[in-house]
Amino acid sequence: MQLRRRSHRDEDSLGTRARRQAALAELGQRALSGAPLDELLEETVAAARELGAEYVSLLELTGDGQGLLVRAGHGLPDGVIGGVLPAGENDLAGNALRAEAPVIVEDFGGEPRFGRSALERDLDVVSAMAARIGAEGGVIAVHSRRRQRFTQDDAHFLQSLANVVGAASERARSEDVIRDSEARFRALADNTPALMWTTDAEGHVTFVNQGWLRFTGRDLKEELGDTFALSAHPDDRTELVARWRQAFARREEFRMEYRLLRHDGEERWVLEVGVPRFEEGEFVGYVGTATDIHERRAMEEALRESEQGFRELADTAPVMIWTTDDRGLVTFVNEGWLRFTGTSFEEELGATWTLGVHPDDSHEVLNSWLEALDARRPWEREYRLRGKDAEYRWIVDRGVPRYERGRFAGYVGTAIDIHERKLVEGRLREVYEREHRVAETLQRSLLPERLPEIEGVGLAARYLPAGRGAAIGGDWYDVLESKDGRVALVVGDVVGHGLRAAAVMGQLRNAFRAYGLVEHSPAEVMSRINRLVMSGVEEVMATVLYLVLDRETGHVTLTSAGHPPPLVLGHHDPYFLEGGRSVPVGAADPAVFRETEATLAPGSTLLLYTDGLVERRDVPLEDRMHQLAAAAAAAGGELEDLCDQILAGVLGPNEPSDDVALLAVRPEPVSAERLHLSLRAEPGSLIGLRRRMGRFLHALGASDAETYEITLSVCEAAGNAIEHAYGPGDATFSIEAGLEDRSVAVTVSDTGQWRDRRGHHRGRGLKIIEGLMDEVDVSTEGAGTVVRMRRILREGSWEAA
Amino acid sequence: MTTPAEIAVERHGGVVVVRVGGEVDMTNATFVRDELLRSIPNDALGLVIELSDCRYLDSAAIEVLFDLARRLGRRRQDLRLAVPPSSPLRRVLILTEISSAAPMHDGLDEAVAAVG
Repeated sequence: MQLRRRSHRDEDSLGTRARRQAALAELGQRALSGAPLDELLEETVAAARELGAEYVSLLELTGDGQGLLVRAGHGLPDGVIGGVLPAGENDLAGNALRAEAPVIVEDFGGEPRFGRSALERDLDVVSAMAARIGAEGGVIAVHSRRRQRFTQDDAHFLQSLANVVGAASERARSEDVIRDSEARFRALADNTPALMWTTDAEGHVTFVNQGWLRFTGRDLKEELGDTFALSAHPDDRTELVARWRQAFARREEFRMEYRLLRHDGEERWVLEVGVPRFEEGEFVGYVGTATDIHERRAMEEALRESEQGFRELADTAPVMIWTTDDRGLVTFVNEGWLRFTGTSFEEELGATWTLGVHPDDSHEVLNSWLEALDARRPWEREYRLRGKDAEYRWIVDRGVPRYERGRFAGYVGTAIDIHERKLVEGRLREVYEREHRVAETLQRSLLPERLPEIEGVGLAARYLPAGRGAAIGGDWYDVLESKDGRVALVVGDVVGHGLRAAAVMGQLRNAFRAYGLVEHSPAEVMSRINRLVMSGVEEVMATVLYLVLDRETGHVTLTSAGHPPPLVLGHHDPYFLEGGRSVPVGAADPAVFRETEATLAPGSTLLLYTDGLVERRDVPLEDRMHQLAAAAAAAGGELEDLCDQILAGVLGPNEPSDDVALLAVRPEPVSAERLHLSLRAEPGSLIGLRRRMGRFLHALGASDAETYEITLSVCEAAGNAIEHAYGPGDATFSIEAGLEDRSVAVTVSDTGQWRDRRGHHRGRGLKIIEGLMDEVDVSTEGAGTVVRMRRILREGSWEAA
Repeated sequence: MTTPAEIAVERHGGVVVVRVGGEVDMTNATFVRDELLRSIPNDALGLVIELSDCRYLDSAAIEVLFDLARRLGRRRQDLRLAVPPSSPLRRVLILTEISSAAPMHDGLDEAVAAVG
């Protein structure tokens, strides 16, 4: 009987990372689904226990900034949760509040920056780590009673938890606004005297306010749908529709004066203004107002007939009306104007109106007015004017030159109070911007802060969020090393924008991590992900490129689910790796995913990207691909520089209109001359060191046995360096290797002292080195230990021994 | 990043055979030891570790073999290794005198037959 046990990665840092990623994604999901904040805080505390410390605390800065409210925690003594701790400057929490990155204390005993707080003394803690939540919202901290060395991964995890909590509380605050915004918009709109309407992205009317219904005398049902220009005067209808279509196609502001038919059959002149609305960067329709300007039109008529008739008419009109002389000085304002400003007729004569313009607007308003006056052109501006309670209100002010007997006589102008419309617009914008920030925070938490270090592969990545005002997309990239030693690369783009796309991105990223570790075939990985996506309730669609690279041979296998092809750069013209194309993930079930294979020439660089880099509305995709290839051909140097040059070459100085993810991958050719490595002093570095030594020794022509024996000796020496690397978390050791005559010489140096041999194990390590190498020398140099070894290469050497 | 090891357990009569493939080093040696201990019931005569698919052992892994031999010895169970002559591991195993604790054989059948 054969019983096959699972293969295993012991004390698995990769497993830890995957677990933490999953915990973060789940927490992010919960935050997005609107879970109550208190539950989320508890779940965050539970997730932080992953770090292995006895105490977890989640502190919120009190309103006065003087205290820290303990919102949630684990392991804390009774009564601490719910209490307020002093927010001292000279303790861990205080420092974390002001620090960009998590603050780590390895041992309070030797901590020069600050001491322990009273609670920390009571709990007798030794090590701790704390990260700031939001801009100044609070702190999440873990404390340990034993000495614990927190790694950069630990710090990143804690900061990510803090980011999700920060985003969640931000969202909790903004949620009410979001929920209410539509209802509030309608309430505001219905209380606005103006006529208001909104359309959807197709231009169909989705809402008209009470004012509009009262005006037209229709009911809501009759007005909704494809009803634009329905109530316009037949003579104006054609022009109205033409201008509306033109503005709509360009998503531009729409503005026209036309005659609208009132319920009683009377035609009234209205000024209609429509502005496009964007939610998270996506066009969602128009919001518009129509203002009755009939009096103004009538006034203009009357003005042409007689001055007296004009004045009478002007004072009974609800709009604000003014006239100036030929120097631009005010000669008349109507009752409507005076009701707005709360001033007297005499006070408004001359140029005093300019004093009432809001300081932030006055420069622009005055300059444009003087320019128009100079050229005797019509003038129109939206600005804030001080009203009767010293409160500034938005108005739209419009003036046209008037002529008396062919001679320029000044201006006649009208102004309309548009304050409510402006407020609604402002609030909607605020809501969208807040959503945008939450989505961005979440996406940052889900993307890898730094790429993993993978031996034998150079990696660089860039993520550019779309320009201001646009929404966060669901672009991502990832790199993982599969069990068979090959490297898997993923670049994907979730269809859609905003919070949902960011959350879906997090889930897909984790799914690829999971399947990528167990499946060898890219098409099979993609097909499993597709099944997973199709079985979900939500409609999700994404384009993904999944590529597996054998770094030794440069052989790649890839599948593309509707994603643009990767570009290959090297000592040749850049070319795209076409083939292996299928439909996007989430488009069809079942779907067939194809694979294609290729072998990269030595020294090649692979470029993976999302379509934000190559897609622009006004340029055909093919031209953009050519542009990318040309930019890549002109770029060179180290991977990081290469990325920057390509982005600059393709995008120019402009911000991208969609998110852009770029991943550059370069299998590093093995040098048969010399090997120099500097590695972090941790056990995880050993496997990379072995692979690198193995490739180097094979390139020198060493036999399998020689390769193993030399590699083992080097790793035994490195193992000592790792065991004795004290102090700062980022201790390193270095390896120099080269061929001298017919022997391989290797030097392993570290910065720590070797302790006395402990037990059989360490003794055995040195014995192995001495037994396998021809020469060994261990010496102390400066603060560290240096091991020099030499081994003569003879084929079949072990048989000779 | 840690090291992948493959472990497969077979029963050959009273003898448990565990094939250890891949790489064993200081990052996964403890795990491999626990798996090996778990694989052998009290009534088994002994354990043969088959290493023909094993590409890497370091001193921590060899220490595990010594430790295992000691533990099994207390239970009067035999530990033997099957290491083909072509294995690159052979010289290191000889150098560390593993045979004093766990005798080394060229083939699996030979090792199984020697248990008891």
